[in-house]
Amino acid sequence: MVYGLKPLGREKFWLWLMLIPTLIGLAFGTAGSLLATLGLSLFNWDLINPPRWAGMENYVQLFENKDYIEAFVNTLKFSALYVPGVVTLSLMVAILLNRKIRGVHFFRTVYFLPTVTSAVATALVWNMIYGKETGILNFLLESLGFAPICWLCTDNAMMSVVIVNIWGAIGEGMIIFLAGLTAIPRDYYEAASLDGANELRQFFSVTLPLITPSIFFQIIISAINAFQAYDYIYMLTRRGQGDSSVPVAVYSIYRNAFHFFRMGDASAQTIQLALLVALFMMIMFWWERHYVVYE
Amino acid sequence: MNKHLVFFVVVSLFLASCGGGAKPAAQEGVVEINFTMWGAPEELAVWQAIVDDFHKANPNIRVKVNVSDWDSYWTKLNTLIAGGTPPDVFAMDAPLFLDWQSRGALLNLQPYIDANPGFLDGFYPQTLTAYKTPNGYYGLPRDFQTIVLFYNKDMFDAAGVNYPNADWTYEDLLATAKKMTLDTDNDGKIDQYGFWSDTWDMELLWSSVIWAYGGEIINADHTKTLIGEGSARDAWAFIDSLYKQGVMPTPTTSGEFGLDLFQSGMAAMTTIGHWAVPGYVQSGINFDVAFMPKGPAGRATSVNSAGFVIAKGCKHPDAAFAFINFALSEAGQKRLAELGFAIPVLKSVAESDAYLKQPGNLNQQVFLDSLAFARMKPVFKGYEEWASMVGDGLIPVFDGEAELNATLDEVIAAADEVLAKNK
Repeated sequence: MVYGLKPLGREKFWLWLMLIPTLIGLAFGTAGSLLATLGLSLFNWDLINPPRWAGMENYVQLFENKDYIEAFVNTLKFSALYVPGVVTLSLMVAILLNRKIRGVHFFRTVYFLPTVTSAVATALVWNMIYGKETGILNFLLESLGFAPICWLCTDNAMMSVVIVNIWGAIGEGMIIFLAGLTAIPRDYYEAASLDGANELRQFFSVTLPLITPSIFFQIIISAINAFQAYDYIYMLTRRGQGDSSVPVAVYSIYRNAFHFFRMGDASAQTIQLALLVALFMMIMFWWERHYVVYE
Repeated sequence: MNKHLVFFVVVSLFLASCGGGAKPAAQEGVVEINFTMWGAPEELAVWQAIVDDFHKANPNIRVKVNVSDWDSYWTKLNTLIAGGTPPDVFAMDAPLFLDWQSRGALLNLQPYIDANPGFLDGFYPQTLTAYKTPNGYYGLPRDFQTIVLFYNKDMFDAAGVNYPNADWTYEDLLATAKKMTLDTDNDGKIDQYGFWSDTWDMELLWSSVIWAYGGEIINADHTKTLIGEGSARDAWAFIDSLYKQGVMPTPTTSGEFGLDLFQSGMAAMTTIGHWAVPGYVQSGINFDVAFMPKGPAGRATSVNSAGFVIAKGCKHPDAAFAFINFALSEAGQKRLAELGFAIPVLKSVAESDAYLKQPGNLNQQVFLDSLAFARMKPVFKGYEEWASMVGDGLIPVFDGEAELNATLDEVIAAADEVLAKNK
């Protein structure tokens, strides 16, 4: 399938030439800051005085730091709730919106809106929804005769925040699943229904196996987002002195680095988080080899 | 030939534009210094006026003023200092002073003070202590804040309740706050709270209450948190009762109503500093101020200051100090007094009409007379982290999710760990 203009001279040369700007950006931006973080994690640095060598000390201290452990456990809990939530809900929405119904484009737009809206702005709206005295949710609960709930108090804040994050991510997941769903040939469903398979059977025997690449992709994307979740959490759970009722790992990294002047600790936490994400990816790729079906 | 000329022009234009960006065309003999501060946009105009006055008196120094909001100010400052380009002069909050001074970020101002005999004579002495170290002053206060009791006169008049007076105790505050807590439209929800204040930072309420009950906050060498010792517990029980009796909205609830419930006309009383006055006046609140109430151990309030510091690596320390010197002179302090956010550190200006006759027709004398029983907001290393452990740690108690004494024990242990880390 060769058409269009042929490159002058050697194709390889042009290929590299065009890639160089991106590669330089990657080398300095991504790899550079990664190496800098790795280096900083071995030092104690308060941003003003020259860094002092600390060796593995910052890493050892992570296991004694109660606040970091709490933040880390919160990140794990958050991910355990968020990833399955995003994957199942956005798959459901995608299946519902993959039909020929009236106004399907309208609904797809509505579900996609949170993705393209500023998290800070929507978090403010969610604050009004969750408010204990003035919130819409409690207004509904009370008019049904239930006691009001403090949605953003310490006990419920995790669930409330997970719900907002899932809500914000459904749109993106829906797009990925819609792409996967439309790629499944119609004949498969026709063949299945000729064989007498009902809709439910068709879903489990045709749709689900053929959509595993999308599911795999969506799990990876939402897991990365879960480990890095910050904006809604910051907006909804920040307390007066900058702490949070749901402190997550990224929150802890930010405060240690830019409020408590401990770049070394913050870098060690970053590296640990990165290792965790990498470990999760390895497990996922192992799973991919065994369970994901590519046509 | 022609081609070369075009090439030459293009290149030199390019170089000129680069050079222009990096190095502003400086006049011969004129030094430029940067002054960075936190503040509201309207403060920038007043500072620009002070700077203009300063330029007239010192034509060979140019001052560039940068204003950021509180949160981004500290992030920006960290980044500038880490990048090796600190602002020459920058604003400092007294409780955070030691965090910066102990890290060696600040210039010792003592030689400059020694070179100006009598320089500190006109200052309120309480405002100076925060910036003093064994090696001399590493900063100077520019204005100060005492915490007083604000009350909404219209709400008191409507309820037919007497205004707070100088004999009030905290029991009187609670009893009156109960009378002023109203459900005006009878929908089962409170529309007017008797009292509102922040309890996440010690400055607005809880430090004053602890001192008035005879408790302490931290020991002298900053190794032990004392907010759970002896009568300090009674002070906490009192603060908790403000929440439990419903005269003050819980921290999570007050977040829903906006940042300041006194300003939004939802609370009859609050305890806050002078910085709130311009906003209250602008919102059309009809209010006045009174002393903080008395506790079993007498009366107490908190005094805190904002100040100037010079970065250690500053290239023009003489020019930087000249600017500070000017801002702390009567002329500079008068301008600041007119701005109305704070109280001048110069006694002569604070007791003049420039301060006392501000808009709002308040009893401004209350802020000054409070100094007689005011105690310095504690200044120690690791303040921000410590304050978060205590202030944020107690929020579940005030939200009604946790028990006071057990939580206090946990919070104090965590706060002591922070102190140990910052030794």
